[in-house]
Order: sequence, then structure tokens, then C-alpha cells
Amino acid sequence: MDVMLNLTDFASMSPLLILLGGALLLLLIESFNLQAAKKFSSTIATIVILLAMGGAYYAPPSHNTLLTPWLKFDALSQFFTFFFLFIGLAAALLAASFFQHFDATRGEYYFLLLSALFGLILIGAAADFLTLFLGIETLALSLYALCCYMKSWEISREASLKYFLMGSMAAAFLLYGIALIYGATGTTQFKDLLKTYAALSTPQTKALFIGGIALVTLGLAFEAAIVPFHLWAPDVYYGASNPVTAFMAVGTKVGAFAAFVRVFFEALPNFNILWNEGIALLIYPTLIYANIVALRQIQLRRFFAYSGISQAGFLLMPFVSGTPDALSALLFYLVVYSLATFGCFAILTFFDQNEEGVLMHHLNGLFQRSPLLAGIFSLCLLTLAGIPPTAGFFAKFFVFKVAFQAGYYGLVIVGLLTTILSAYYYLRIIALMLAKNPGEEKPIMTWPAALVGAFSFIGVLLLSFYPNFLFELIKLG
Amino acid sequence: MQLMLLFIIPFIASLVLFILFFASARQLKILSFIFSLAPLFILLSRHGHWVGSNIVYPWLPVLSINFHLAVDSLSLIFLYLTAIVTPISILAVRSQGLILPHLLFGFILLLQGLLIGFFTAHDLAIFVLFFEAMLLPLYFIINLWGGPQRQSASLEFLIYMIAGSALMIAAVLFLYFASASNGMGTFNMDALAKISSSTPFTLLLGAIFALAFAVKTPLFPFHAWLPNAYYQAPVAGTILLSALLSKAGIYGFLRIGVGLFPELLQAWSPLLLGLAIAGVFYGGLAAWAENDFKKLLAYSSFSHVNFILVGVFIWNQTAHTGAILQSLNHGLTITALFLVAGWLEERIGTTKIQHVSGLAHFLPRLCWITLFFVLANVALPGTNNFIGELLILFGLFGQHPWLTGFLGLTVILSVMYMLHWMQKVYFEKPTFFQNAWVDLKAKEILIALPLIALILWIGIYPTPVLKEIQKTPTEKIALKN
Repeated sequence: MDVMLNLTDFASMSPLLILLGGALLLLLIESFNLQAAKKFSSTIATIVILLAMGGAYYAPPSHNTLLTPWLKFDALSQFFTFFFLFIGLAAALLAASFFQHFDATRGEYYFLLLSALFGLILIGAAADFLTLFLGIETLALSLYALCCYMKSWEISREASLKYFLMGSMAAAFLLYGIALIYGATGTTQFKDLLKTYAALSTPQTKALFIGGIALVTLGLAFEAAIVPFHLWAPDVYYGASNPVTAFMAVGTKVGAFAAFVRVFFEALPNFNILWNEGIALLIYPTLIYANIVALRQIQLRRFFAYSGISQAGFLLMPFVSGTPDALSALLFYLVVYSLATFGCFAILTFFDQNEEGVLMHHLNGLFQRSPLLAGIFSLCLLTLAGIPPTAGFFAKFFVFKVAFQAGYYGLVIVGLLTTILSAYYYLRIIALMLAKNPGEEKPIMTWPAALVGAFSFIGVLLLSFYPNFLFELIKLG
Repeated sequence: MQLMLLFIIPFIASLVLFILFFASARQLKILSFIFSLAPLFILLSRHGHWVGSNIVYPWLPVLSINFHLAVDSLSLIFLYLTAIVTPISILAVRSQGLILPHLLFGFILLLQGLLIGFFTAHDLAIFVLFFEAMLLPLYFIINLWGGPQRQSASLEFLIYMIAGSALMIAAVLFLYFASASNGMGTFNMDALAKISSSTPFTLLLGAIFALAFAVKTPLFPFHAWLPNAYYQAPVAGTILLSALLSKAGIYGFLRIGVGLFPELLQAWSPLLLGLAIAGVFYGGLAAWAENDFKKLLAYSSFSHVNFILVGVFIWNQTAHTGAILQSLNHGLTITALFLVAGWLEERIGTTKIQHVSGLAHFLPRLCWITLFFVLANVALPGTNNFIGELLILFGLFGQHPWLTGFLGLTVILSVMYMLHWMQKVYFEKPTFFQNAWVDLKAKEILIALPLIALILWIGIYPTPVLKEIQKTPTEKIALKN
């Protein structure tokens, strides 16, 4: 039994500590020197995230018994840490571009962003329900504030309030679920969960446990925006500013699925077929509803909310199946989804000029004005639609394969049929960009967002031609 | 490995073209033409040694997808067709006033590469990948360089295609897991052929594949996308659609239908045959009623493609030989027809039939070349289509003699509508001369010459081609009978 933390233990937590230190530093600068904060906070935030990446790369796994009950130091958590830091980096760069169009104070913004990242990393490394809850709440609280960061925007205030009210309900459900599980098993630790579940003997404790799991699932499904717990997403995505929406579309989504991974792949793999069946029942309405409603959207942030909901339907499939390949399929899909979504938002940033955001008709004839931007946007949309030979096709193929293997043919067939709908609405945007009548809106190019766009473009292209690269990476030795 | 070279060169070429945005349209046209000829030279350089060559390369071990390309004599015919038609479609592009030429030529070369991949794919997952991927370049070609309604036409085209083949992934996965339960777990077509007829859902799987190929070819009544897409596409796009994309559907029927679901293809023969014959008639009648020659040719192509499908759906060696030969023939003839129709449109500025007449007087060379291709299209003895259609009719006669008579009537129908066009535009009382009416130049005749030569060669001395064709299907059909 260890009684104190030594230096290597701090080193193994270094990504978290660096983020925390960086966030506090930003807050200090903001309080004492507004001018400096305006000038340097985006640079500082970027450097902090890069440092955290370095920390994550060199961090040794800790075996200290003061830490291991709470945090995991396995390959998966390292992967998630990197993944989240990349997401944070992209979000920070998009925000830097955003602030070149819009005037607002910045120090707090990056403070909140770094806190959200802190929460995300906690989720990815959680070894206990309490750490998980802590991570989710840190993320959620930062996001409530980030959502109404543009204080003068009416829609932002509305969005933030909605998000806060519904989010706190979801948090309550999640916490209540954890309490029930604790009541049934006497532990909140992931590593004991399966053992104690198997040892449950009376129907009462079993019911308690299943009830707890149901509530936890509900809480996480809210974060992942799965029908019927998606109601917040369209309004909140629409109301938040562009970089925040991008961060929610990717960060929150990946975070929610990381939580799913920790609870349902690591702690309770295939614990009860009932759960898998229940999740399958969530996927059908998610795919059908989101794809049909997405057809009618004209505001792009709202559009990406529905597109994100439908993608969440695909992302749930590996959980239903629970086969050995399921984790790889999920991670592959997540990476491809994140790259493509960030690519889209990077392009949207160039057209973002007021709180209404980008409407479909702003993109009219973009191909004539800027073939490069239109090309990147098209590639990302095709990837999201899963049209071969883009990486999105492999992602969907892998997910379908995993679902098929477990015998959920209905899911595969509904998934394939809804891809026809999704192909239609993604391609409609491409068709709009290829139209010959050029719109008036000139894209305002700024280099940080351009960097994100270029990175996404190259990433998607690379994965399209050589998907094996990522397959090898996510094998997680 | 030459097969790899054959496959990879068009992709490299398209990449080069995409990058060369600063070059002029003329330079790009010449460059892409040279690139597009490369596959033909590679094919000819090893002619006679292609059958049996294959490459296997573990591409996605996690998904057990192998990058497996293989050439058999069925592939070879379609490879030659691709290698011949693509350069001609590039030459059909007018470089004056062309927007974004580097993208257009890049897309055409990309399509060539994808088609070569498709016609040689021997791993079912790769097969599906190429089958779907070839839609994208065509979508962009129609959308960016097409006619006034190109937007809706291209979207309709793409959505139709995706809807037609959406469930194919499920079918492919089903076959994979069926093979996995036999201890193989592979997408290899040879291995799948052994188990495809013993799975519990063979009927459903066959139907899914049949639907995908029926939409692509298109088989009657899955052709709703065709008139618009063919009409709105630029000349090069129409050539690629009619000569190559439709063959992808036919190749699919031959490769997957005959290879994986032979019993089903036999069992469904009456139904499919009925649809195909209805398609021949429908296309012919629609062409006859049309007063726009580009649409007329589109329906004519539809009619002839269904004629080929008649040959595919008869379980008979002669008919299959005829169908494969006719795929090659139709590809050549329809390329030629859309090419000369494009030249005509360039000169008279319209595709309507009634505005001008008597052009034979002003454009004699274009007129006689068009007439030659028209006669080839109506299967005049001595031209390639005569041999192909005769073989199909002959195969049909063995099984349904009275249907043969019925189908024979459509040959007359095609004479009627094709000559109707010739008569109206070229031979009636001349209208007033216009300055744009310049007869064909030597360059244009040079483009047409190889097509004329091929049509005559296959028409008069088809033995070498027939010998090549008769290698694969024979043994397969003999095996199953």
C-alpha cells in the first residue's frame, strides 16, 4: 500500500496537471492584464495543449495504489488522451480564427476549453464511476458556459439555458444510476463490477443493478445525443458559436462514447443480453429520425447536429454487438468522424459572419469562388456520408461487419437504407457548392482554421488510401 | 507486375492532372490522352498472356479484405473496351472555353482506373468498393460540365445508384460470415462461389445483387435515371455512361450472377428475360417517338443494352458468347454514335431534329461517317453488331423460338428510328446554309477511323475475338448443366 505520491506518479498524470496549470495561468492573466489576455491567450492555450501532448507521450504508467483505483494508465486511456488533446487543439485553433471575426474577451474562453479537455481526459481514463462522473460534469459545466460565450447573442443565451436545464437532469439520472449500482453491489469501481454483478443472488438486488445501469445509460445517451435523448442537441448546436459547436460535435460525442467504452466494454463486457437488445432499440429511432429530419435543415450548425445524431446511431452498433472487434470498429469510426467533422467546421469558420451562422445558400457556387475550400468540404461530407472510396466507407463497413457478426441483421439493413437518405442530404450540399451562380459571401481566410482544414483533409485522404495505418494504431497492444 | 501497372497508371495520371491546374486545356487534353492510352499499350504488349495473371496483397487484414486483382478472359474483353473508349471520350471533349479542364480530365482518368479495378477485382469487398466508387467521378462530370439541368440530373443519377446498391454491403457481409462459418472467412470470389448457393438466404442475396446491377445497366424498368443523366451529361460523360458504366452492370450480372448464383439466374430467367425484352421494345419505341437526337441515342442505347441482357439471361453458351461480344460491340458503336452526335450538335447548335435538314449537302463527310455508324447500330451484316445480335437470337431460338421472332422485330424498330434521324437531319430538302456548318477536319476523321476499323474487323472476321470470349463462360456453364 502506497501512502504518498512520488515524482513518477505526477509524471504519469502530467497531461491533466499541465492542462490544469495552463487553465489557471490563463485565468490569472485575464484577471490582471486584459490586453495581454486578448493578445496571447490563444497562443498560450495552444502551447499548453501541445505540452500536454508531450506529457501524454512520455507519461509512464503509474502503479501507485493511491491512483489506480481512480485512473487507468492503459493503452486505451493513452489513446483517448491523445485523441482528446487533438480535438482540443483543433477547437483552440478554430476559436482563434473565430475571434478574428468576432470581438469578445478570450482568456476565459480558453480557460473553459482547457477545463472541458480536463474533463474529457478524466472520462477517457476513468477507473471508477466517481471519476467518470467528475469528468462528465467538468466537461458539462465548462460547456454550459461556453455555449453562451457570445453574451450578446440571443440564441446563445437560450441555448445555454436549455442545455443547462436538460444537462443537469441527465447528470441527476446518471448520479442516481451510480447510486443504485452502488446500492446493489457495494462498489463503484469498474474492476469489481462484473464480479459483483455475477454474484448478485436475489431478484431485488438484480433489479436494483439493472435499474442503475438503465439510468447510467440514459445519462450517457444524453451526452451522446441519441434519440430520444437528443432534444437539446439541435438547439444548442445552433445557439452556440461555431468553434464551440465544433467542439461539442466532436468532443462531447467522443467523450460520451469513451464513457460508454469504459463502462460497457471494460467494466461490464456483455454482462446481460437485455442491455444489448435495449441499445439496439435505441439505434432504430436514432437512425431513422435523425436522417429524415436532417433532410430539411438549412442552417449548417443545426444540420450538423442532426448529422451527428445519425452518426451516433452508427457509433452505438459496436456496443450492441460486443464482439472482440467492436472496440476497434468504434475507435476507427470515431477518428474518421472527428476528422471529417472538424474539416467541415474549419470551412464553415471562413463564412461565419454573424450569429445566424452559415446558411446553405451562403455556400452556393463556392466551387467557382474557391475550388480548394469546396474540395475539402466535399471530401469531408463524402466521408461523413460513407461513400467509397473515402475512409467513411471503411468505417461504416467495419461497424456493419461487427453488427452483422453478432446477428443484428435488422440494424445493418436499416443502417444501409438510411445511408441512402444521408447520401442525399450530404450530396445536396455538394451540389449547391457546384452550382454555377456564385453567391456574394466571400470566405475570409484565417490561418488557424486553415490549418485545421488542411490537417483534416490530409488525414481523411491518408485514411482513405491507407486505412490500415489507423487499424494498426488502434489495435492497442 | 504488369497488372499492377495497368491498374495504377490511371490513378497516378489523374493525380498529375488534378495538380496541373495552371496548364491550358489543350495541353491537358493532349497529356491526358497520352496517359489514357497507356493501359491499351500495356494490354497489347502482353496480349495473349493476360489470362491467369493476378496480384494478391493483404490490404486490410483487420477486415480480412485482400487487394486481389485477377484477369480472366471475361475481364479481358471489358478491359480492352475500357482502354479503347476512354481515350476517345477524352478526344470528344472540346477544349475551347472549357472550365476547370484539369479536373475534367482528371476525373475521366480516375474513372478509367476505377473501371480497370472493377473489371479485375477478385475480392468481393474490393469489387463493391470499385462498383460504388466509380459513381463519384461520373457525378462530378455530369454536375460540372453538363447541360442546363445538370444539377438535378446528376443528383438523381447518384441517389438512384446508391439506393440500388445500398443493401449490397449487407449481402457481401452475409456471404463473408457464411464462409466464416465454413472456416474460411474470406471475400475471395472463388471461395464464395462454393458456398453461395447453400446459404439460407440465397434468394434474397441474389435479389440484392440483381437489383444493383439492374439499376446500373439499366434493366427495364430501373431506367428512370437514364434519360436525364445521358441527356444532361457532356458528350464525354455520355460516352462514358453509355459505353462503360452500363457494361459495369452487365459485367456484374456475368461475374456475380453466373459465378455466384448460377441456379438463381436460371430460375429467374423467364422473369428477367421478360423484363429485358420489354426494355428492348420500350427503348425502341421511346427512341422512335423522340425528336431530339441525343435523347434518341440514349433510348437506343438503353434498348440495345437490354438486348445484351437478353443474351445474359438465357442459360446458353451461344447466347452468353453473344452477350459478351455484344457488350464490346455496343461499347464501340455507342461511343461512335455519341461522338458524331456531339460533332453534329457543335455545328448546328441544337440537338432537336426538326430545325435543320439536308445537311448531307453541306457536311458530306460527317453525314457518311454518321451513316456508317448508324448502319452498324442497326446491325447491318458486315458490321460488328450483326454478329453479336445474331448469336443472341440464335441462343434464344434454342429455348424460345417464338420469342426470337418477336425480338427480331426490334431490329426493324431500330432501323426505323435510326434512319428517321438520318433522313430528317441529313437527307431532306436542305435548309439555308449557316457559317458554323464546317465539315469534319482530318483530325476528327482520324478519331473516327479506329472505331470504323474495329467495327468492320469484328463484323467481318470475328473469330479471334470469339475465341477469346469462349474460354471462360463455356466451362462454367458446362459445369453447372
